[in-house]
Amino acid sequence: MGSGRIHRRTAVAGALAAGLALPVRAQQGPVKIGMSMPLTGGLAAGGKSALVGIEVWRDDVNEKGGLLGRKVELIVYDDKSSAAETPAIYSKLLDVDKVDLLFAPYATVPTAPIMPMVKQRDLLLMGNFSFQVNRTVKHDKWFNNAPWGPADSWARGFIDLGMKAGAKTIALIGADQEFAQNLMKIAKDVATEKGVKVVYEQSYPPATAEFSAMVRAIRAARADMVFVCSYPPDSVGLLRAINEIGIGDSVRLFGGGMVGLQFSSVMESMGSLLNGVVNYNSWLPEKSMEFAGTKDFFVKYQKRAGEAKVDPLGYYLAPFGYAMGQMVEQAANATKSLDHKKLADFLRSNEMMTIVGPIVFGPDGERKESATLMAQFRGVVDKNIEQFRNPGKQIILFPEKWKTGELVQPFEKARK
Amino acid sequence: MGGVGRHLGFWIGAAAFVALAFAMALTVRNEYAFFAGFVVLQFIVLATAWNILGGYAGYVNFGTSAFFGIGVYTAVFLLKAVAAPLWIQIGVAALVGAALGLGVGLLTLRLRGIFFSIATVAITIIAETLITNWKFVGGATGVQLLRPPVTEPFDSYIKMLFVIAAVMVVIAVALARYVQNSGLGRGLRAIRDDEIAAECSGVPTLNLKLVACALSGALMCAAGAPSAMYLQFADPVSAFNLNYSVSALAMSLIGGTSHWIGPVLGAILLATTQQLLTVTISSEVNVLVLGVMLVLFVVAAPEGIIGLARRLWRWARRRTS
Repeated sequence: MGSGRIHRRTAVAGALAAGLALPVRAQQGPVKIGMSMPLTGGLAAGGKSALVGIEVWRDDVNEKGGLLGRKVELIVYDDKSSAAETPAIYSKLLDVDKVDLLFAPYATVPTAPIMPMVKQRDLLLMGNFSFQVNRTVKHDKWFNNAPWGPADSWARGFIDLGMKAGAKTIALIGADQEFAQNLMKIAKDVATEKGVKVVYEQSYPPATAEFSAMVRAIRAARADMVFVCSYPPDSVGLLRAINEIGIGDSVRLFGGGMVGLQFSSVMESMGSLLNGVVNYNSWLPEKSMEFAGTKDFFVKYQKRAGEAKVDPLGYYLAPFGYAMGQMVEQAANATKSLDHKKLADFLRSNEMMTIVGPIVFGPDGERKESATLMAQFRGVVDKNIEQFRNPGKQIILFPEKWKTGELVQPFEKARK
Repeated sequence: MGGVGRHLGFWIGAAAFVALAFAMALTVRNEYAFFAGFVVLQFIVLATAWNILGGYAGYVNFGTSAFFGIGVYTAVFLLKAVAAPLWIQIGVAALVGAALGLGVGLLTLRLRGIFFSIATVAITIIAETLITNWKFVGGATGVQLLRPPVTEPFDSYIKMLFVIAAVMVVIAVALARYVQNSGLGRGLRAIRDDEIAAECSGVPTLNLKLVACALSGALMCAAGAPSAMYLQFADPVSAFNLNYSVSALAMSLIGGTSHWIGPVLGAILLATTQQLLTVTISSEVNVLVLGVMLVLFVVAAPEGIIGLARRLWRWARRRTS
């Protein structure tokens, strides 16, 4: 009987101790950051590269003792590059895995369906290279890591460069897909606003492989600049067609929004055909783009990229994945909290120092000022991936603060 | 008497199923169950719809994604144009689907076998191209949609969608069951076994196929309509994803095409596995596991789960006698 009482007492004391200890233990558990990522499907190459960037940050922050003294743990599910998968995944992350913070998947389409969800639940979401995804939802706790900035700054950078080079007319071509169409419409608006005459405008189906007719039409239109909004297979097809047919002497500036020319595999296979193209980019190995931690990051990334079989250079997405983590880290350290409102308030009103440069957000959660680079390929030779590790192969023309050279024009001359 | 009992049993089961879904929506707090559950229920409707033409009549249809996508965009159009409530979106999508099924059927049902299947693939491409070029519903860029406030007694929109999907499952299965047991189903089976013989025996083959195509199309489009509000986003690539066609077909084949329960079992098995794999293995192995499952069923159980169950049942009876 007596021993039974002792047991009961012990049990009650134990339960109390456990009850008291529970919140403390929960506090000391890992900080869980949840996300979906395109690990299979059309966006997988980018998704995997971005994820390696985030993983390098996780390991760096854990080496320093974690976030607010707690280890960082990533919970990542494959969204198969599809919008249909992400709502269930983010619900799992929030309702079952009980993550502390959310990162968005790479790209616009998988991100779009989770925007209303995070707005309804009033959660912080760190964006990952999507384009104008907060335009309709207008969530005040959305912060995109991409350098895009205001919607029109991308096209504005390109058209300004062209106008400085004396261009007065523009040809617009773009794939009939989400991102390309958005960009093309904006470019047309900016051109109209600046008094640049649109002399040719053409959308083409995403599966188009043969561009010679389009290149001939552009040549006939005698445009001064050609703004291209294409996806990787069409970017390659277009450049090959131009190489065979030629685009004419009138063109001073060619490129703008060609997706794919940022990826190592495409850069390596296209080689010298890239010369002269002025295209958007996010980060490049030029002197003006070196910030605190940038070099260290790429040493770590490129070591892992070989093992993970992802983009060996990783300039386009990976450092921005790391920067997402850095921004959260700075906000958490400054506010001493993981409260989404406090973090969002901090992110909205402070300049964040990252390996891709200082980041300041505008009210829509996009960069206040565009940091999208316009760079011209120069002196690229065939079949050599190593050449892109050195400065001088992609000269930054825009923005002014990171400029590393002058435009070579016309396009046909720059191609040589 | 047995027939009446079976009917009664089916409707009691259906009512219990909807009641359970409703009770879940009112009591379960974890929303993930509803997100994942909605997808599974949506695939039950799609697989059941596919089976009406593909299973009963043997016309292998790869156009599921076309009908599904048109359902999505009917909802998007109605929402943007007149801010129509969800039940109107679903109802109109079903009507559009039926009309489209009839139209497509008239154009393609004179083709047989592989030629019919290829024609149905083309429908998806045509529909996707049309939507891609229709700016009002977002065109190629897609469109983000904001849900209206949730209707009482539900406390979240996804729970309401889950219950609506459960009701749609009951309607789809009841329709498939009716088709299977009616003269229409017998006619379709005759077409599947030998179309020329059926025609010679006085079966109005084209008319029956058209009815099947319209019913199937209506259900597929209706399944697509709530998907717009589920994702709160629609873009042509996602809405017309070939995955819907392949999954609906695979689910029916794995479950068994000869009975209405086949696609239901196949959809539950495959869609649940897909959902589980997404949040467990979550890599290329995902696709591999599903591929292996398909191959295993095709080799070991060519008549699906129903065929396998029948074989086991016969084997067990032989052993006992």
